[in-house]
Amino acid sequence: MLARFSRTPGRLSLSGQTLRVSSFHTARILNAEETPSSNASKLTKDQAKKREIRRLAQRKSAARRPASDHRLYMPVTKALRFLRAAEVGQPRSQQTLSITTILVSERGTPPLSGNVSFPKPLKDIKIAVFTTDEKQAQIAREEYHCHLVGGPELVEKIKQGEIALDFDKSLATPEMANSLSSQLGRILGPRGLLPSAKKGTVSENLGELIRDSMGTLPYRQRGNCVSIAVGKCSFSDQQILENIIAAQRSMKEALASQKTKKPSLLSQTTLTSTHGPGIVIDFA
Amino acid sequence: MSRVTRQLKFLNKISAGTPKSQILVNPEKCAALNLTFQYQNHNGHMGARKFWREYLPTLQFYNPSLQIRVTRVKNEDKKDVGVPCILQVLAKDGNVTSTVEMRNKDKDVIMDEFLTIVEHEKVPESDIIEV
Repeated sequence: MLARFSRTPGRLSLSGQTLRVSSFHTARILNAEETPSSNASKLTKDQAKKREIRRLAQRKSAARRPASDHRLYMPVTKALRFLRAAEVGQPRSQQTLSITTILVSERGTPPLSGNVSFPKPLKDIKIAVFTTDEKQAQIAREEYHCHLVGGPELVEKIKQGEIALDFDKSLATPEMANSLSSQLGRILGPRGLLPSAKKGTVSENLGELIRDSMGTLPYRQRGNCVSIAVGKCSFSDQQILENIIAAQRSMKEALASQKTKKPSLLSQTTLTSTHGPGIVIDFA
Repeated sequence: MSRVTRQLKFLNKISAGTPKSQILVNPEKCAALNLTFQYQNHNGHMGARKFWREYLPTLQFYNPSLQIRVTRVKNEDKKDVGVPCILQVLAKDGNVTSTVEMRNKDKDVIMDEFLTIVEHEKVPESDIIEV
């Protein structure tokens, strides 16, 4: 009786309404009861763990199901027809096609990242080069026509926001690497543009590095999916298919070289455009 | 409505939603369309925008080789009525063969007018794709 009586005003107080409790000791019982009831929706540690395991199993089994079972599945050529129709009349620059793949990975697996080189690139890749070595700078400027080349003065300009961050890749020589990460880490880091020895974007010999990275586009896992832009609507079906295959191959390579005991699984892949719907395609 | 149903509805709207634009145009006489109108709706430019949004996706879907270019002009000034609101039909050699004035017209009226000037045939019932 008391329990039922006390629950109603307890909820009322939660929703922010004024309530009048007639006697003092009822109010005390109320307070005592509120503490467990407000925690009831939260899971215990054990339950949370079980739920996580269950969800991982669900995601894994979803990853093993063939893509053609999905209701939105379409062959790529048909999907492209739909996407081009959805994209009609939009400015050319906005008609980008991209693929998004859901990754199923164990906890603690390092995020997937890699480089993809397309047979038909979307645009020329812009490279920024940070170096104090004049000789290296000259190579970058004259041989490879890099977008930005400079030393500390370039760092300062980026820090002040005078130069737009419109490059896709940045490279550096070792003597610049430290000052870069301390000064520009906050700006370049979140965009994945910070040169580091671990990523292989810091080297004494920049010429070689630039040549390797000229035609490649970096990608990395965000959350639990990987997104890569594979083409424009104006590309032919053949070109887009070739790009998708290149992306697939590079992603498989990245999965194989991932430093973990259990490699991640590739799950559902969708092909989409800027304004269009997402269509499930065969990717794995 | 679930996520997938919503997507299917979107796809079906493109392929089977607007029967009026389920046509196959003659690629010799109508190789490209150029539309010019305002971003803003004032001075009767709304029908043109609606025509683009409603009918052009389907038209493009059944005529993949048709080049459709939409040019939208920004014009905040309501008194400025100089912005054209026209639909041009281009032949294969790039010459403008006919023009439709879209100002102050409803999307259906524009579509009917377009159908009268363009040589076309209906997409056969069996070719209409529905997912």
